[in-house]
Amino acid sequence: MGMMALATPDLDERTDLDQVVSPDRPWQTVVWDDPVNLMSYVTHVFREYFGLPRAEAERLMLQVHNDGHAVVAEGARERMEAHAQAMHDYGLWATVRQAPQ
Amino acid sequence: MSPRVVVMELARLEAAHLLGLVQQFAELVEESAPDDSDPAVLRLVPDAYDDEKAAQEFRDLTAGDLLQRRRADAAVVADTLADVAPISDDPADPALHAQVQIRLDPERARAWMRTLAAIRLVLATRLGIAQPEDDDPDDPRFGIYHWLGYRLDGLVEAIGDPQQ
Repeated sequence: MGMMALATPDLDERTDLDQVVSPDRPWQTVVWDDPVNLMSYVTHVFREYFGLPRAEAERLMLQVHNDGHAVVAEGARERMEAHAQAMHDYGLWATVRQAPQ
Repeated sequence: MSPRVVVMELARLEAAHLLGLVQQFAELVEESAPDDSDPAVLRLVPDAYDDEKAAQEFRDLTAGDLLQRRRADAAVVADTLADVAPISDDPADPALHAQVQIRLDPERARAWMRTLAAIRLVLATRLGIAQPEDDDPDDPRFGIYHWLGYRLDGLVEAIGDPQQ
């Protein structure tokens, strides 16, 4: 237990570093896998909202399904937040983050 | 060129059940607040950030609009079902199994799609489906959930290419 107490500040520090807003890293909208939304529906949402060709929408959907998540957009933070809200409107779970280093 | 109309064909009994579900869903959303702690409502306005504070700020800004959209969509679905859903109390009435057709313009079809998806999310939360293996096709409690999935899949296919 003593070890865990020692380890905690390290973890906190790392979390804080993650949240430092770095101006040169773009923001991303990430869609996460869930056991509820149908593959056909997720593909449709990507085509309808992002205007993607079927093959690209399916590639992203499969990435969500197989890898657990996929970056569906990258750019300014406000735009990424708008995309995340749009995904939530369809019932997909999306988050916003800065591109990992 | 006239907009593409999607025709949903279902038994009158199905329409009646679906209307009941949509009304329950509308009630849940009606009674919910943007700061709701019900996990089923939270699934409709999920965390957009890992960071708790940022997620809450985002939710404060968006949950009101998102829940309003759920209400508006559910109202569209209820409205399109209103004519076909009334059924008699007699379980032997053959009219229960008669097929009815619901014609949906593209805008209504999308409201249907989002509503079926949202109701599935609420049911999944209530059924405790957090992992794919939680979904049990043989468990009768999952029947409505699977039926909604079947209908949603059919609707997505009928809507087809969203760019057309």
